Amino acid sequence: MLSLVAGQVLNGAIVGSMYGIIALGITLTFGITGIVNFALGEFMMIGAYATFALAERGGLPYPVAVVPAALIAAAAGYVCNKAFFRFTRGNLVNGLLVSIGLISVFESAVLWYWSATPIEMHYVLPGALRLGDVSLPKMKLLVFAVIVVVIALTYAALAGTWLGRASFAYAQNAEAATLMGVHTERLVTAVMLYSTGLAGLGGALYASLYSLEPSLGGVYVLKGMEAAILGGIGSLMGSLWGGVILGVIEAVGSIFLPTAFRDAYGLAVLVAILLFRPAGLFGDES
Amino acid sequence: MLTIFIYTFLSGILAVTFDLIFGFTGQLSMFHPAVFGLSAYVTHLLVLHARLPFWLATLPAAAAAVALAIVVGSICFKFRLKTFYFAVVTLAFAEMLRLIIVNWNSVTNGTLGLVVSGKPTIWWPGTGLVAIRGPVAWYYLTLAALGATVLICARVLASWMGRAFGAIRLNEDLARTLGINVFRYKLVSFAIGNALASFAGGLYGYYTGYIDPGYLSINQSMEVLAMVLLGGQGTLTGPVVGSFVLTALPHVIDLRAEARAILYGAILIFTILVMPRGVVGTLRAWRMRRAA
Repeated sequence: MLSLVAGQVLNGAIVGSMYGIIALGITLTFGITGIVNFALGEFMMIGAYATFALAERGGLPYPVAVVPAALIAAAAGYVCNKAFFRFTRGNLVNGLLVSIGLISVFESAVLWYWSATPIEMHYVLPGALRLGDVSLPKMKLLVFAVIVVVIALTYAALAGTWLGRASFAYAQNAEAATLMGVHTERLVTAVMLYSTGLAGLGGALYASLYSLEPSLGGVYVLKGMEAAILGGIGSLMGSLWGGVILGVIEAVGSIFLPTAFRDAYGLAVLVAILLFRPAGLFGDES
Repeated sequence: MLTIFIYTFLSGILAVTFDLIFGFTGQLSMFHPAVFGLSAYVTHLLVLHARLPFWLATLPAAAAAVALAIVVGSICFKFRLKTFYFAVVTLAFAEMLRLIIVNWNSVTNGTLGLVVSGKPTIWWPGTGLVAIRGPVAWYYLTLAALGATVLICARVLASWMGRAFGAIRLNEDLARTLGINVFRYKLVSFAIGNALASFAGGLYGYYTGYIDPGYLSINQSMEVLAMVLLGGQGTLTGPVVGSFVLTALPHVIDLRAEARAILYGAILIFTILVMPRGVVGTLRAWRMRRAA
């Protein structure tokens, strides 16, 4: 029993780190542009399919394919920002609507080309580590480590640097930040590029673990949003912790309670947290 | 051709009632499809098991919708959840409801859904009770339902309540200092919107002859939001226009399913970029500029 729980906690943490990388993108975009990019899940899906195309069809080794896949997602994000999101800045619902449109377009385009049949990649890194009774596939551990490092690096890059302070200033008062010499247009573009690139990276890592379907983004963007709120919107490390906590709650919840309701356990905790601590677990109370 | 109008009218009811909560009172609810789907199930199950006539069965369904709206609304409004946070919490409740319906196999038949074989009946002079069959009869039935919904909403909005809703939307704190019971009027708006939406659920199930948990999905929520934003939030005609555009256009142009979904997305994006206030909102602003 104990090893079952321990195993589920670890599994939940690994899945949760995937939620975390999307949550980081959501927190960054919402904080800087005031848009909830509901289409982030689609950029993740693009990253996943791009990895598949590059690695299985193009013959690139997987670790090499991950980078261009994330770049492809970021490029798609750049185009969407320049063409669409630029016009909905600061307008939550119109931004949401553009995201809904993008989801429809991307998902059906991939559906058209690859069909709805789930696709699986070859094992990238077979084998597992054993920890007492718990066995952990090496690839899952690697993915977890990569995501934790990426989020920590993002945090380090923004905490205490000029760029980080500029972003916070812009999020608080865009006009004042502009007057203080923050190049806002560049900042927003950078955030869109980075968040969609992160989602693409998340998708590329996802592709090595699970089978791909055109609709995979929908689930992850919801979980990412839950994780971002759980950790506290605007908190970078909070998005990682929020994701991990969400993943663990779902995994452990489905040992003791019916598995069919696993999505509900995270939601129930989320609602409770929002009611009693609206800023999230790691968010700024003010 | 008539089918497009019937679907337009049915989703129009959803969109108009959603706009009462969102466009007029300013609360971005994601609970709408949950009520829509739930009442489709409740109505059908009552007809099936309790042998109630269709019209009588819609009433307990509406009562259930109101009860749920009061529970969910009280929780959200008591804690003063706003915009995005209100959306997420209502979404969470809607998802929980969907999971219950998906997993309660003995009653709802899970993901497979239920087949609805009956049709609602109506009393007709001379012939007595007749079942409503065929597109023409459904066309008039749904048109009447939409008309009734719009009328009720218009009455509500023209009353003191409507002004309270507007005050809450524009500035909640100011409304409170003016002596408006913000909690109560938010709840009233939420309950009325959900109650009216529940009738759309019952009708929809009986029109298509099929109910499944997809009725409660998040996509459905997004679709209703899209209709309202496209047509123009804060108007009563806007949601109907939006529901017509999004229902009719992809069907009029003959394409395969994937291309149709791409077209749907493209329509959404371009309309909202060209007309950020929706079709009706933009027309209205244009007319006002010409008059000035």
